[in-house]
Amino acid sequence: MTSVKTKTLQVGDGASAVVVPDATPPVYKRRRKPLTFDKVSFFVVFLGLPLAIYLLFVIWPFIQAFGYSLTDWSGFSPKQNFIGLENYQKLFTDDIFMKAMGNNILLVIFLPIITIILSLVLATLVTVGGGSRGQIKGLRNSSFYRVVSFFPYTIPAIAIGIMWGQIYDPSGGLLNGILTSLGLEQFKAFAWLGDKSTAMIATMFVIVWGFIGFYMVLFVAGIKGIPAELFEAARIDGAGRFRTAVSITIPLIRDNIQTAYIYMGILALDAFVYMAALNSGGGPDNSTLVMSQQLFFTAFTKGQFGLASAMGVVLAVATLIFSGLVFLVNRLTGGDKDVSL
Amino acid sequence: MNIQQQSFARRGFLRGALAAAVLVPLAGSMASCAADGGGGTAGPTGTVSDTNPFGMADKSTVDAVIFKGGYGIDYVDFAGKAFENAHSGSTAKISPSTDIAQELQPRFVGGNPPDLIDNSGAKAIGFSTILAQLEDLTSVVNAKNLEGKVIKDTLYGGVLAPGTFEGKLAAMNYVLTVYAMWYSDALLKDNGWTVPKTWDELYVLGEQAKAKGKYLFVWGKEAATYYQEMAIASAIKEGGQDVRLGLENLKADCWSHPALQSVFTALEKIIKAGYFKPGGSGTQFTAAQAQWSNAQEALFYPSGSWIENEMKDQTKSGFQMTGAPVPSVTTSSKLPYASLHSAAGEPFVVPSQGKNVPGGKELLRVMLSKDAATNFAKTKLAPTIVKDTVPADGFGSTALVSQTKLLSDAGDNIYTWNFIDLYGTNKDQLVVWNTFLDGKSDVATLTSNLQEITDKIRNDSSVKKIEVK
Repeated sequence: MTSVKTKTLQVGDGASAVVVPDATPPVYKRRRKPLTFDKVSFFVVFLGLPLAIYLLFVIWPFIQAFGYSLTDWSGFSPKQNFIGLENYQKLFTDDIFMKAMGNNILLVIFLPIITIILSLVLATLVTVGGGSRGQIKGLRNSSFYRVVSFFPYTIPAIAIGIMWGQIYDPSGGLLNGILTSLGLEQFKAFAWLGDKSTAMIATMFVIVWGFIGFYMVLFVAGIKGIPAELFEAARIDGAGRFRTAVSITIPLIRDNIQTAYIYMGILALDAFVYMAALNSGGGPDNSTLVMSQQLFFTAFTKGQFGLASAMGVVLAVATLIFSGLVFLVNRLTGGDKDVSL
Repeated sequence: MNIQQQSFARRGFLRGALAAAVLVPLAGSMASCAADGGGGTAGPTGTVSDTNPFGMADKSTVDAVIFKGGYGIDYVDFAGKAFENAHSGSTAKISPSTDIAQELQPRFVGGNPPDLIDNSGAKAIGFSTILAQLEDLTSVVNAKNLEGKVIKDTLYGGVLAPGTFEGKLAAMNYVLTVYAMWYSDALLKDNGWTVPKTWDELYVLGEQAKAKGKYLFVWGKEAATYYQEMAIASAIKEGGQDVRLGLENLKADCWSHPALQSVFTALEKIIKAGYFKPGGSGTQFTAAQAQWSNAQEALFYPSGSWIENEMKDQTKSGFQMTGAPVPSVTTSSKLPYASLHSAAGEPFVVPSQGKNVPGGKELLRVMLSKDAATNFAKTKLAPTIVKDTVPADGFGSTALVSQTKLLSDAGDNIYTWNFIDLYGTNKDQLVVWNTFLDGKSDVATLTSNLQEITDKIRNDSSVKKIEVK
């Protein structure tokens, strides 16, 4: 661990030690330069425009949504009454919404962990998991595996959902077909998506299946950025593959993992497409219902836009809290003072 | 109606799901379309006459948005052409939509809704939310149709009821749907079986079917509430209008009515005996329906009369699809065995704020002409609310012939209910029914869960209740 740190620090120092010319201009020269047309047009196009678009299409709607969440707006009339925080009170006493929130929390805990662990394992195998003689390399044919495992990510989410819906079909589905042909007769008409005990797990599997390849590629890129000498040194010191992964790979691509965790978590807090495709109604006993689905039903089939806006606000706040938590955990576990290349 | 909408949902499913995927992250911005609504623009008015009963201005344009589901929109195109012929210089602009609520929400809020809407499909606008903004269509039924007859005299009885809310005829439901227990006449005849008239007879038939390797019923996860429809229809037959009014008005303990309980118990007996094909709660409903209509793994399927059109491509040849009334509990039920759940669907509405309100009504009047209605029956194999448009051979469809027979057998004993549509509870009820049909709950759980859904609406002061008498 220590040797790793020193080494990396040296590398880092080297990179930042490039001398920037005119780094410290004399104080009297720090007057504002006249605004030329070039400068102004640059500001307008590259700063002003994006900012304006951001304010108009992201911030303003959000403020509006919060405003509507305090009303009883039906969504189809220009009129609405201010009812204060009543919608929020209703949400937190509504068992179905709480169930949906619970499911989202379940997803946010397990989806990123499972996806990241599996794709890390795969990434390690195809980059440094190869033979223990000669150069550090991945398994044989690793470039082939890399391409193949990226395939699912190129399929649109809705297509993935529909495809797996067919595979899970109790009577004509591929999965039960395989299981029964292996002699497991109890799966003859087993409803994977229709049974409370398996619906969520089956759904999670589909999402993980869809994303594993993408995160694998992300981690491969990260691992490729680590100098091969580090791995060689570890090998000479007698570290096995697991030890190398835990002590070298993971600490050095920590930032990538954090990013992956946040992205995957945000996906888990939404998850709308997968849930809608696999179990549009929320699954048996609402076991796969998520907040975004409930928001959609409330707004468009029940005509309660005020309440739906409140759900949107809760969803947004949950996302922010989640990102904050990931950063906090990373910091508490020493992420800020840890290594980077 | 809601049940029907469910079955059409799959057509717009891909698009809907994709649109939703884009929309949900922007949950906030969805609401942002709401600005201060513009004031209503009164439509230009022309001279009122028998050929122009609503005083539509000459050479005006009618803007119609039609739900594009199982029936498509070509029947409105057909009426649009007739409209343009009747009023030269005027144009009917007919646009399809698979997602009425989402597409029209900004137009309603902006005070610029279309002149005529077919508010149907899984994503229809809940009626209680827009009721105040709709025209009363009584003037349309009082007007004369293109053939010179007063429209209300040409309609089937009771068809205006589902569109009437608190005394206002806010929606004109165009298509007549018959709810029944559908089966293959050929299959039953081949085995020497007859259609069971009570739940007990049904149970006995289940045993015989099982001996031949067939189930009584199949179900799909998105359509589990078809069995709720069946149960309510059978319970109303047993217990009379009390049952219906209790449910419609969201009464406490309405699901504990003895008639409903006896139907639930009969269903439970069939489920526990294994006469339902297992795995339905994980099966797409169209796949389940094909197991019935194509693979013939089950004998019966409760559904609306759209089932023939919907499964057209997946029905075994020589199937002879036929509808029967749902079974009664006892032979001494309050309403006769032949009484029927039938309702007009595809609700057409005319928003008061539209630019050409008379034009919207005029197009609707053209649709209710005998010519346009016959065209619909012929191309969609389903009757409209206009009488006498289906010939005796039902355009060659056994299902259509059986519908006409069911309707005439039932006479005045036709009933329907609205509470599921009105309060948008179908989704919550699906969950409960899937569990029940799976054999994972019992009558007591089913009852308390359904009651909970009803109670939640009743106790929610922000939901506008509509009293049914």
